[in-house]
Amino acid sequence: MALLTLQGISKHYLQGELQVNALSDINLNVEEGEFAALVGPSGSGKTTLLNIIGGLDAPTQGLTQLNNTDITGLSEAELSDFRLFQLGFIFQAYNLVPVLSALENVELVMVLQGRHANERRERAEHYLQLVGLQDIMQRRPSALSGGQQQRVAVARALAAGPRLVLADEPTANLDSENATALLDIMHRLSHEEKTTFIFSTHDPRVMERAERIITLHDGKIVSDECHQRHHEPTI
Amino acid sequence: MGKAHSHLPLSMLLMLAWRNVWRHRRRTLITLSSIAIGFGLAVLFIGIGDGSHNSMIRNAIKLGDGHITIQPESYLQAPANYKYISDGVTLSTALDALNINGSVSARISLQVLASTANNSVGAALEGFVSNNDQRQQMLEPLLIDGSWIEAGDHRGIVIGDGMARKLKVKVGSKVVLMAGKRGGDSQAQLGRVRGIFDSHVDELDDFLVLSDLQFAQYFLAGEGAIIAQAPVTRFAVFLDDPDSITYWNTLIKSAIDNDSVAVLDWQEMMPQLVQFIIIDDAGNYVFLILILIMVVFGIVNTVLMSVLERTREFGLLRALGLGRRHLLLLVFCESLLLSVLAVVIGWIVGGGTHWWFSQHGIDFSALMPDGTALMGTFMDPVIFTELSWDRVTQLTTIIFVTTLLSGIYPAIKAARITPVEAIRT
Repeated sequence: MALLTLQGISKHYLQGELQVNALSDINLNVEEGEFAALVGPSGSGKTTLLNIIGGLDAPTQGLTQLNNTDITGLSEAELSDFRLFQLGFIFQAYNLVPVLSALENVELVMVLQGRHANERRERAEHYLQLVGLQDIMQRRPSALSGGQQQRVAVARALAAGPRLVLADEPTANLDSENATALLDIMHRLSHEEKTTFIFSTHDPRVMERAERIITLHDGKIVSDECHQRHHEPTI
Repeated sequence: MGKAHSHLPLSMLLMLAWRNVWRHRRRTLITLSSIAIGFGLAVLFIGIGDGSHNSMIRNAIKLGDGHITIQPESYLQAPANYKYISDGVTLSTALDALNINGSVSARISLQVLASTANNSVGAALEGFVSNNDQRQQMLEPLLIDGSWIEAGDHRGIVIGDGMARKLKVKVGSKVVLMAGKRGGDSQAQLGRVRGIFDSHVDELDDFLVLSDLQFAQYFLAGEGAIIAQAPVTRFAVFLDDPDSITYWNTLIKSAIDNDSVAVLDWQEMMPQLVQFIIIDDAGNYVFLILILIMVVFGIVNTVLMSVLERTREFGLLRALGLGRRHLLLLVFCESLLLSVLAVVIGWIVGGGTHWWFSQHGIDFSALMPDGTALMGTFMDPVIFTELSWDRVTQLTTIIFVTTLLSGIYPAIKAARITPVEAIRT
């Protein structure tokens, strides 16, 4: 059974008196361990779809089933707990809590999960090491570069042990070198940790690293293709 | 889905809140400074208020009838010369047996007409045992002419300069004191002026005639009292510890157990003074309310700005799984820490200011050239600020609760943030 199933997802909202159809009749299955990209031009509905998958936004109609749970039927508090234990998030920017160090940021979700202090410290250090930040884990976000901050976000997302990581344009604010490095880390960890990744992008560098590309246009899926990776990780 | 729920330990909550409070160090310091200065001023003003009130109360008690007064039951409602305690000896013995921490003065109060060849004025004759009375200790230093009544001087009187002017008398002059008797007759005694005082309190200077107890007892004898039983109008009890009034009041009442006498504390004896202090206190509370408004705006401004600036961060936290309740707690905890800091700094500033003025005093004499007489008593011209523990608790609670309440709105606003809208900003 698929890890994620979307059935007939639509999202409409009013902009003034005009109804905007952000998503129309989206049907999608994502299997465990996939490294999939949602692509399309700005306004195509990528972020809205990611928000609905992540339970951050509710669809106007349709069903979102993740790990055998219909999340469209969950209360707000249940959704909050669901996100905490099942999902990891990487946003485009402002991913980290400014008053916490890199290590504390990675630990934060595990603190909320109620994990033991030793376990979370161990896991946080491990994942920061995996993303190559073991030497600067005590720094606060303001002392980290954009690429380093995104890597901390990847470490945080994975350290909490989610079934699915959702990344909304994770490389949008990064230069080419940092974007490539981040994608390679995400891809490698996706395979090593057997964690499913869905990320939105309109960056061609990101697209060519995805194993599956789902293209959206005007709120509809216009293509869904599986790709072979051409590039080996650079780190 | 399992039953696992999000969990935010207190240590993490406090750590996040503490760091958030100091995120904008300058803003926090400015807020704390304004609250602390306001709080310090409130403490100072209330300290001055309490200091001046207590000064008035102490003087009123000394000039009046002590912390506790024992007098005929209906005397307070309708004073009359024929209302007296006929058996002063028995009552005095009962009081002595209590070993009161303080002193007890026997007094006689009579309404008389003071006359000379030049004029006649209504007066209040107060007879007491010379050299053993707080009132003497207050007024003797204020003598402007003559001397105090010697022990055993049964004809000597001391009057205020206002009365001396009206009667046109000086030290050595004779004054006839006439008192009405029950049944319509009158009786008179001759007194001789030994001293003239000036207290700057019109109620004392114009009306008070002080004499030895025995002189006043002549009038009670005219009412039928037996001198051998030491008749008196009242006993004034002066306590070493003014905070023990309730204790001694209860004890005296049970020891006397006599329906014909009333045991009253100074507040029952001087209700007008109590009313004056309540009204004056209300003025201080208006000032305190203004300070509180400043505190509320300071906290709301700081915390609300901090919330609005962090909308996206709150969205991130909510997306990661932090519940609304935890977010509300976090922001409320930030207000709580600001409150604690404000109260601590406020007390350092306010307490320091109070301590200084409680030791050195503030001289108000230049502001009150016509004297400091009020409500039949007077305030010492140099006021030493006073704060009781009740006031400390009261002020701390008021400021603390106010600052906490100020944090409610920003906390609710933060908790209402939805992740998807916050992340879009």
